[in-house]
Amino acid sequence: MTITMPDHGRGDDILVARGVRKTYRTGAVDVTALEGLDLSVRRAEYVAVMGPSGSGKTTLLNCLSGLDDIDAGSVQVEGRDIHRLRDAARTAHRAQRMGFIFQAFNLIPVLSAVENVELPLLLNRVPSKAARRQAQATLDRVGLAQRYDHRPSELSGGEQQRVTVARAVVAGPALVWADEPTGNLDTHTAERVMQLLAELHADGLTLVLVTHDPAIGEAAQRLITMQDGSIISDRRPTAGDLVPEGQRGGHRPSPAGGAAAPVDVG
Amino acid sequence: MTALLAIAGTAVAIVVLLALRRPALARIALRGAVRRKSETVLVILGSLLGTAIITGSLIVGDTLDASIRISAPNQLGPVDLVVRSASPASARQAASALEGFTSAATDGVLDVVVLDTSMASGGPRDTRRAEPRVQLLELSFPDAAMMGGDARATGISGVDPDRGEVVLTRDLADALGREAGDEVIAYVYGRPLRLTVDRVLPRLGIAGFSTGEDSTSRNAFVAAGTFSRVLERLPAQVAASVPPPQQLVLVSAAGGVFEGADNTAAATEAVEAALAAVRSVRVDPVKEDLLDAAEEAGDSFQQLFLAIGSFAVLAGVLLLVNIFVMLADERKSELGMLRAVGLRRRDLVRLFVIEGAMYATLSAALGTLVGIGVGRVIVAVTGAIFAGFGDLELTFSIDPASTVTGFVAGLLIALATVLVTSLRTSRINIIRAIRELPEPTGGRRRARSAVALAVGLLASTAATAAAVAGDDPIAALLAPSAGAMCLALLLARVLPRRPVLSLVAAALLVWAVVAERFIGFEGGDINVFVVQGVVLTGSAVALLSFNQETVGRALRSLGGRGNLVTRLGTAYPLARRFRTGLTLATFTLVVFTLVFISVLSSVFGTLTDDTVADEAGGYDLLASAAPSNPLPEGELRRSDGVAEVATLTYGLAEFRVAGRQDFDRWPLSGVPGDFVATGAPALSEYDTARYSDEQQVWEAVTDDPTLMVADAFFLQDGGGPPEQIVAIGDRVEVRDPVTGEVTRRTVAAISRAGVAFSGVMVSAESLDEMLTTAAPHRYYVATEPGVDRAALAADLQGRFVANGLEAEAFRDIVEVNTRANQQFFQLMRGYLALGLLVGIAGLGVVMVRAVRERRREVGVLRSLGLPAGKVRAAFLLESGFVAVEGMFVGTLLALVTSWQIVVNSDALGDLDVPFVVPWGELAILLTAALLASLAATALPAQQAARIRPAVALRIAD
Repeated sequence: MTITMPDHGRGDDILVARGVRKTYRTGAVDVTALEGLDLSVRRAEYVAVMGPSGSGKTTLLNCLSGLDDIDAGSVQVEGRDIHRLRDAARTAHRAQRMGFIFQAFNLIPVLSAVENVELPLLLNRVPSKAARRQAQATLDRVGLAQRYDHRPSELSGGEQQRVTVARAVVAGPALVWADEPTGNLDTHTAERVMQLLAELHADGLTLVLVTHDPAIGEAAQRLITMQDGSIISDRRPTAGDLVPEGQRGGHRPSPAGGAAAPVDVG
Repeated sequence: MTALLAIAGTAVAIVVLLALRRPALARIALRGAVRRKSETVLVILGSLLGTAIITGSLIVGDTLDASIRISAPNQLGPVDLVVRSASPASARQAASALEGFTSAATDGVLDVVVLDTSMASGGPRDTRRAEPRVQLLELSFPDAAMMGGDARATGISGVDPDRGEVVLTRDLADALGREAGDEVIAYVYGRPLRLTVDRVLPRLGIAGFSTGEDSTSRNAFVAAGTFSRVLERLPAQVAASVPPPQQLVLVSAAGGVFEGADNTAAATEAVEAALAAVRSVRVDPVKEDLLDAAEEAGDSFQQLFLAIGSFAVLAGVLLLVNIFVMLADERKSELGMLRAVGLRRRDLVRLFVIEGAMYATLSAALGTLVGIGVGRVIVAVTGAIFAGFGDLELTFSIDPASTVTGFVAGLLIALATVLVTSLRTSRINIIRAIRELPEPTGGRRRARSAVALAVGLLASTAATAAAVAGDDPIAALLAPSAGAMCLALLLARVLPRRPVLSLVAAALLVWAVVAERFIGFEGGDINVFVVQGVVLTGSAVALLSFNQETVGRALRSLGGRGNLVTRLGTAYPLARRFRTGLTLATFTLVVFTLVFISVLSSVFGTLTDDTVADEAGGYDLLASAAPSNPLPEGELRRSDGVAEVATLTYGLAEFRVAGRQDFDRWPLSGVPGDFVATGAPALSEYDTARYSDEQQVWEAVTDDPTLMVADAFFLQDGGGPPEQIVAIGDRVEVRDPVTGEVTRRTVAAISRAGVAFSGVMVSAESLDEMLTTAAPHRYYVATEPGVDRAALAADLQGRFVANGLEAEAFRDIVEVNTRANQQFFQLMRGYLALGLLVGIAGLGVVMVRAVRERRREVGVLRSLGLPAGKVRAAFLLESGFVAVEGMFVGTLLALVTSWQIVVNSDALGDLDVPFVVPWGELAILLTAALLASLAATALPAQQAARIRPAVALRIAD
């Protein structure tokens, strides 16, 4: 299902997706994860993507960031159709222009915090000394000045996520993708991480964030709601979005135990 | 084997009982194996090689044993004892005493007259084939066929040959290219006897009668009285000077071909009683000796191959441990959950053991089959090596007990490995396992473990002192290793861990290299080498593992700090020390042995010129004639191209040295007074206070019949470098094998010679006193300058075919020996290459697992923008890093150890060998190993490069 988008896709668009379609084959069954999706993101915009489990949020992130292939449509990042690039070029583009924050942190366990953070810089051929300085500075900024040489297993969850944030932003990407960045964190730590992301956004970072947390969605400039592989709403968040997602539909259990029909709250 | 079977039976019974009592565990174990099919296949492949190597080694022993034992039916048949006499008179008395002899312990006697001579095929001279060593026999065919009560076992058929007829064995007929009806020429005391072949008999029983070590019987049977008729026609002076034919009495002990050997003692006693009145006769238990020699040779080969194969077996064990540790790591959260729902730690061990037992049984069964193939290959190669030496034909043979032993040994090794690994992997913290958190370093420090370590340290120290004092090299290597471990663990409780462990590992490493200087490793016992190799590589790998960070830093600075491939390729091996250490140990161990053997092979390969000079002295050719048909020395000297000839009396004597209970047979040469004038074999040791140079020693030996020169390999049982059994001034007992009379000689010197089997050297007069039946039929020949020695040797053989002359250049003898040694080293390297294969396969397995284990991390790296090519390069670098480290450490250890042995030690006896490193060969070997390692990793590295980030991250909505 395609819905009419608010007027975000003109002018200084950093990302423009048109007719993106993605289908997974599970056994003998084809499952459509994204159904002809159109989306634009403006530079320095903070976009939250919400929706019930299985609605296609993460697939959206994977396909729009170029981590996964698409079956149809196009995704332009800063004017380049990333799915028309060869893998090597797309990978290089990702290294130069994108950052990623994952729910499970996904730090490299055998590298220290500073080594994890300097990875994107080294991928962008920044000289090693400069990379180290820049990585340390970024870690300082996320409040981990004393943790440079600690390995991920020696850091708390919140610290690990801050290292992930530092890694995502250290190379000055045009766009940062965050998939449930607070999903594995307690409320207090989650707040600190979101505060950090807010600060980075305030500095001009473009952030597309997938979340289940209405509070995080509400803090974004723009809230996209997905269901069954389609965007069913795209608007500025309101206070009403703070109502927990389950109470607005999506996963609300039906009296018979099945999933209730999705409700468009847009 | 019974004990092994009992242990294996008990182990399997315990596992089956466990599975029956805890069906839930058995179900999980079975499903685990079925679910991870590829891992199951890898585990089985990894552990089957150990079984294969053990089985192969046992089969080599079986083959050698059987190849020698086959001579019992083929070359002795019913004959168990041979009565030898010192003179024709005593032989006649013995024959008379045993005429019609019967006893409960025997079932037949047979008089035989034997003459060693030569034979040629008849026909035109230019097409004739000659056989210089033929055993001509006179015996009664009807009596021979009756001996032992089983005519088929005697191989004898038909009636006695008539005058002018001869009966050949198949071996001789084939050698001469003759069949029934053809003519042959036998040279008896220099007289050509033209004989017609009446029939050809198989190499079987009395027809194949031979007490030598060859597998062939070149026998020819002539009519009774043939020898005496020839002797009668000889001029009286000549007839008196030639050695008479040997008159033997063959005795069959009661029972069949093999059962009869069990009655040897009783039969010998009965025969000796019958010969009580006869002087100068000896009863030789030929079949018992043959069967003993077969068993001894089989055992010694089994031991050799098992010892060399143990490196590969150890490599297989390390691989198995590695795979199990990785599997346990991968299943950590699953195991944590099982513990959380109520499985006890011992249940986890049971679970692993049940699963491991399934793998072990399958791999042992498959390994046994592969081992049969491995054995077949070794036998084929060994057979080719033996062919260069003599006539021992290897007949591939498998004793079913060997396959059972190989299977059981492989099963037990795999089970023990699984059990020990399970005990380690079952120690998991449930929460850490479920959350897949790393285990903290350093465990709880219990006081009782400190006490145990202290006791262990004291006991090891005492054992080390005892080992050094008692010159026990194996204990002197193992005891300090145990002590070092106890000391390291004790000190690490109070001092910084890394420096302490590094220091102790370094100390142990140094000790393993230099221990040989303090404890006698003489003789190169292969088991000492195995233990030394394990201790060396163990301590070196431990030292390296504790300091991998330093290595990694060095490598990173070499590759550039910003080089991501270098950083990622080294990060994992450096972070996972235990796993890396296991793979490293596999590589180091095998490369150490391979390089060590290559260096030794190279060192010995350079010795040809020196060995020829040492062996031959001033002579060029070694020739020998049939003892019954000796060549007048003057005739040989008058031949074109011959400058000097020294005629040696030659025979086998029995020697006993201090510290040995039994007499052992060894060649004995009596040298003439002028032997030394042309230049005698080089001496490695003599009393320098008494003699100013070697010339003086030889002059003393030729003058003084009480002196002897022992050869370099005097009384040495097996191969390898010379083991000095005697010292200068030792008194050696020498027994005449025919008369049993004992004389004594003093060791005046030890020579460097030994390859040409001239044995102990004494003066000709001295030998005449010691051996009654020896004849002067061995010749050291010096050639004219510029003569083609090989061509001259061939020419002399043709010219003196009537005397059965065999001639060979000393250089050719040495080169054949060197070539055989090199081939043997090559065989060893081939055997060890199996271990390298394990190491390479292990690396491949580890990388396959690593790719699976790190899918998510690869996904992250790819999402961050790491190109696929760099992912591939990082994985290749990772395996290359471990392989190169292992090769470097293994090579370094091998070079240091071999240098120590060649330059600084007595382990090679008195061999004056240069330290030569075959750099080219090593470069090829190591490059091939590295390329093979990279090839084994190429597929997993490619798989890693193909990982799609979104799929790897498995981010579910």
